[in-house]
Amino acid sequence: MSWFKRLVLSITFRLALLYTLVFALSVAGLFYFVFWTTSGFAQRQFEAAVQAEVTSFQESYQRSGTGGLVMAINRRLDPSGRPDSIYLLVDPVGTPVAGNLRNWPRNVAVDDLWVNFNIRSLEGASQELAEARALQFFTPEGFRLLVGRDIREAQQFRQQLLRSLNIGIGMTVFIGLLGGFVFGRGVMRRIEAITTTCRSIMSGDLSKRVAVGSTTDELGRLSQSINAMLDQIERLMRGMQQVSDNVAHDLRTPLNRLRSRLEDATRNIHDPKQRDAIEGAIEDADQLLATFSALLRIARAEAGLQRNFEALDLAAIGEDVAEMYGPLAEEKSLSFTARFEPGIYGMGERNLVAQALANLLDNAIKYSPEGGAVTIVSVLIKGKPAFVVSDTGPGIPDEFKEKVLLRLFRMEQSRTSPGSGLGLSLAQAVARSHNLDLKLDDNHPGLRVTLTFPEAAQAPAKPQASTPVQSPDMALDAAGAKAA
Amino acid sequence: MQTQQVSGLEGAPSDNVASVLSFGSRPKSAGLAMRILVIEDDREAAEYLVKGLRESGYTVDHAANGKDGLFLALSEPYDVMVVDRMLPGPDGLSIVESVRKSNITTPVLFLSALGEVEDRVAGLKAGGDDYLAKPYSFSELLARIEALLRRAGSAPENTFLKVGDLEMDLLARKVVRQGKRVYLHPREFRLLEYLMRHAGQVVTRTMLLENVWEYHFDPQTNVIDVHISRLRQKIDKPYDKQILQTVRGAGYKLEM
Repeated sequence: MSWFKRLVLSITFRLALLYTLVFALSVAGLFYFVFWTTSGFAQRQFEAAVQAEVTSFQESYQRSGTGGLVMAINRRLDPSGRPDSIYLLVDPVGTPVAGNLRNWPRNVAVDDLWVNFNIRSLEGASQELAEARALQFFTPEGFRLLVGRDIREAQQFRQQLLRSLNIGIGMTVFIGLLGGFVFGRGVMRRIEAITTTCRSIMSGDLSKRVAVGSTTDELGRLSQSINAMLDQIERLMRGMQQVSDNVAHDLRTPLNRLRSRLEDATRNIHDPKQRDAIEGAIEDADQLLATFSALLRIARAEAGLQRNFEALDLAAIGEDVAEMYGPLAEEKSLSFTARFEPGIYGMGERNLVAQALANLLDNAIKYSPEGGAVTIVSVLIKGKPAFVVSDTGPGIPDEFKEKVLLRLFRMEQSRTSPGSGLGLSLAQAVARSHNLDLKLDDNHPGLRVTLTFPEAAQAPAKPQASTPVQSPDMALDAAGAKAA
Repeated sequence: MQTQQVSGLEGAPSDNVASVLSFGSRPKSAGLAMRILVIEDDREAAEYLVKGLRESGYTVDHAANGKDGLFLALSEPYDVMVVDRMLPGPDGLSIVESVRKSNITTPVLFLSALGEVEDRVAGLKAGGDDYLAKPYSFSELLARIEALLRRAGSAPENTFLKVGDLEMDLLARKVVRQGKRVYLHPREFRLLEYLMRHAGQVVTRTMLLENVWEYHFDPQTNVIDVHISRLRQKIDKPYDKQILQTVRGAGYKLEM
C-alpha cells in the first residue's frame, strides 16, 4: 500500500477530514449570513434613496406642476449631480419630455412599482449594456416618471462579495485538508515507528525500544507505557531463560551422572540379559536427554536474534538436508523427490533453517506409509522464497492443525511412532523467529507443509562462508585445520 | 611422542597405528597420563567433570576461577584445556586469548551454557578448538577431548590415510580395502575420511554432523546411523573383519 493510501485510511486523517467538513460548513453559514445582511442593507439604502427622490419630485409637482417637475429633473441632471442616476419623464403618449433616457424601457409594464431593465451606458459613446432599477410615478395628467439608478456597481459589489466568501470557504477547506495531511502524516509516522519496533520485537529482538519523543502527549505516554511493558517482558523472559537454564543444569547433570553410572555398570556385567536391561535404561536416559535438548533448542530458536542472519541459498540447504534424509526415505521404500530451483535466497540463520527443514522432512518420512511418496522442493511462490515438503501420510485434520505446532502435542494415532513430539514445534519456533510463514495444507492424501520467507534476499557477493567448498584433500574439519 | 604416533596415519606400519588406538581409548596404558586443565566455577559440575576424567585415566587440574585458571594455563604444560565461558575473574574468552598470545597452542575445548551459534563462533575466533554447549553428555565431552588430543600432533595435510587394510587416497579420491577398490558417494567419502582420521577413537553422532555435514543441529532421528550403515555395506560387509563398530550409547569407532 502506498503511503498516500495509508494516510487517507489513517484515523488521524479521517478525523481531520471530518473536522474540516464541520468547520467548513459553519464557516459557510457564517459567510452567507454576512452576505445576506450586507447586500440586504445596501438594497434597502438604495431603495430609500430612490424613494426620497421620488418624494421630492412629487413635492415639486405639487408645488409647480409638470413644468416644475421638468425643471427639477433637469436640475438633478446637472453634471455635478450623481452620474448613475436615471430619470425619464414621458407624456401620456410615451414621448420623452425630460430625463437622460432616450425612450421608455420596453419591458416595463404600467402597473409595476419597482422595475429592473437594461440600459445603454449613460457615459456617452460606450454601447455597453447596464442594469438599472427604478421606481415609477404617475402624475394625474397621465405623465409618467421613472426614477432609478444604474445598479451595476452594487451588483458588482454583491458578486465580488460572493466571490470573496466562496474563496474564503474554499481556502478554509483547503487549509483544513492540508492541516489534516500534515498532522496525519506526523502522527502516522510516530505510530508507524511504534509498529515497526513492535514487529522487530515480535521477531525476537527484545532489546528494541520505541522512540518516545515528546513525553507530554498521548503518543509519548503510549510509547512510554509500551517501553515499560517491554522492560517487564524482557525481565520475565530473562527470568524464564534463567530458570530453564537452571533446570537444564539441575536435571541434565544428575541424568548424565545416572547415564555414566549405567555405562560403568555395563563394563563389569557379562550376563547378556542384565546387560540388555542396563543398555535399555541407557537408551531411555538418552531419550530423556534428547527431549530436553529439543526443548532447550526451541527456547533458543524462539529467542533467535536476527543479527546472525545472512542470505541463504535455499537450494544449498535443501540439497544438504535432502542428501542427509534421502537414505532414510529409501530404507522405507518411499519414492523421494527433491527439486531445488537455483538462485533463490532468503534471510536466516543457516543451522536453524536447516533444523526446521530437517524436522519437516523427518516428519514427512516418518508418517508416510511404506511405498508412499515424499517431496521436498524450493521455489519462488508469488516472488517469495519457499520450501515445500509434502508426504502421503495420514495428514493432519483441520482441528489439529494449530495444536500440532504446540510443544509436545502428538495426535493419538502417532503416539506409537518414535519421536519427541517436538519436531513441528521446533520448526514453528524457527519460523517465528525468522518471520517465516509455516502453513499446513492437505496434500490429498497426506500433509503439505509450506515454509515461506517474507521476501527474496540478494545473493551474497561471494560464495557463502558457512558452506565452504572444500577440495577433497582439505576435507578436514575447520578447527583441525586451524590447529595445524 | 605424539608426532611419532600420528605418523602411523601416513601409511606407516600398522603396529604404530595400534599405539594410536591405545592412547586414544586408554591413556594410562600409553605410559604417561595426559594432563587436562579444567577451568570451571560451578563446583558440582567441576567435581563431576574432574571425577569422570580421572576415571577415564587422565591427570586433571582444576581451577575454580578465571585468575587461577589463567595462571595454571600459562605456567603448566597441559595436553588439553577445558574452559567454561562464564567465569568469575577473567572470562573464558579472555583467558584463551591471553593463552594464545603467549604462543601456547594447547587445544582448548570451550564449555558454555550459551549454546547459540554466535557464541560458538566467538569461542572459535578467540582461539578455541572446539565448543560444547551445556548441558552435554559426558561421553560426548570425552570423545571430543580425545579428538583434540589426537589433533594436537596430527598433520591434516596428509593425503593418504591407512587404517588396517583400508586405504584412502584423498588426491585420487580412491578407497581400497584389501587391494579392492570401494566406490563411495562424496558424503560417504567424507564420512569415512573423518572416521579414519579419528581411527581407534569414539566419534559421536554430533561430531559427525558438525564435521562431515557442517551443521549444528539436532537431526531428531537416526539419520547418521543410516549413513553409517550404508558405509558399512560398502567397506565392511564383503569382508571378514568388521572395522566400523557401534559404541553403544556413545557413537562409532573405526577399529583395526
